[in-house]
Amino acid sequence: MFGIIVGTHGRFSEELVKSCEMICGEQKNVKAVTLIPGEGPDDVVKKYEVAIKELKENGCDGSVLFLNDLFGGSPYNAACRLVISNEAYGIVTGVSMPMLIEMISAQMADDGSDIKEVMEKAVEAGKNGAQTFHASSVAADDEEDL
Amino acid sequence: MKIVLARIDDRLIHGQVATVWSKVTGCQRIIVCDDDVAKDKIRSTLLKQVAPAGIQSHVVDLEKAVRVYENPKYADDKCLLLFTNPTSVLYMVEHGVPITSVNIGGMSFKEGKHQITGAVSVDDKDIDAFKKLNEKGIELEIRKVDTDSKVMLMDVLK
Repeated sequence: MFGIIVGTHGRFSEELVKSCEMICGEQKNVKAVTLIPGEGPDDVVKKYEVAIKELKENGCDGSVLFLNDLFGGSPYNAACRLVISNEAYGIVTGVSMPMLIEMISAQMADDGSDIKEVMEKAVEAGKNGAQTFHASSVAADDEEDL
Repeated sequence: MKIVLARIDDRLIHGQVATVWSKVTGCQRIIVCDDDVAKDKIRSTLLKQVAPAGIQSHVVDLEKAVRVYENPKYADDKCLLLFTNPTSVLYMVEHGVPITSVNIGGMSFKEGKHQITGAVSVDDKDIDAFKKLNEKGIELEIRKVDTDSKVMLMDVLK
C-alpha cells in the first residue's frame, strides 16, 4: 500500500486530513505536514522524512504520494527534492477534499500499483470535485416508475 | 431489487454515503424512502442532484418504495435504501420487503430525543420501532462508514 503525505502552507493539511476522516474514518497511513511561518523548505524536508519513516513503520510499501496545495510553493518544492531521486514517489498539487478522499480509497484497494497511475487518478478526482449547481440545471425526473 | 444496504441516516445523501457506502456496496441506485422527504419538492430535487457519478438517486414515499421493490423491472438492480427513521424501515418490513440488517449511520439530536451514541439520538417512537425490528431477528448495527466496527444498537439501548 502506498503512503500519503499531505504537505501544505499552514495547518490546512492537518485540518484537511481531519475533515476527510469525518467521511472515511480514522486514517493511519495519511500524514499531514505543515509549513509554519518562519520555517523554510529544509524544515519541511525533515518533516517529510519523519513522515516517510512512520509510513514505512506502519507497513506501507515504500511508495509515497505527496499531495501539495500549491504548484511551486515551498511544501511542493521541498517534496520535489525527495521525489527527484526516488521513482516510487510522486507529487500531485491542488489537494482538495475530493482528491484526498479518492486517494484514501485508492490506498485501501492498492496492491502495489504504479505511483504514476495513482497520480493520474488524483488529478482526475481533483477535477471532478469541482462541480456547479444553478437553479436552471435542475433536471426533470425521466423515470416514470421510480 | 437487490438490497445491498438499508441505512438510517437523516442526512440522507451526504459525504459518507456518496463516497464510501456507494462504493463499497457497488449500488446502481440510491433510493430515499420517506413520506416527508417525498412531499418536500426542494429537498427531493436536491437529493436527485447529488447522486455520485454512475449512480441514480430517487426519492419515493413508503407506499411507492414497496411497489418499486416488487416491480420486476428493477429485479436485478442493486439498490441502497436510505431512511430517516426506523419506523419507515418497519413499514417496509411489515409490507414484505426482506430487510435482514439495518445500518444506522446518523439520527440527529432534536428536542424530545435522547442521545445514545455520538451520532444517534432516539425518541420513544424510534425505540418502539427498533424493538419490533429486533424481535423480527433483524440486525441493527451502528456504523458511520464500513471500516468502523459494528456497535449493536440493542446493546446501547439497554
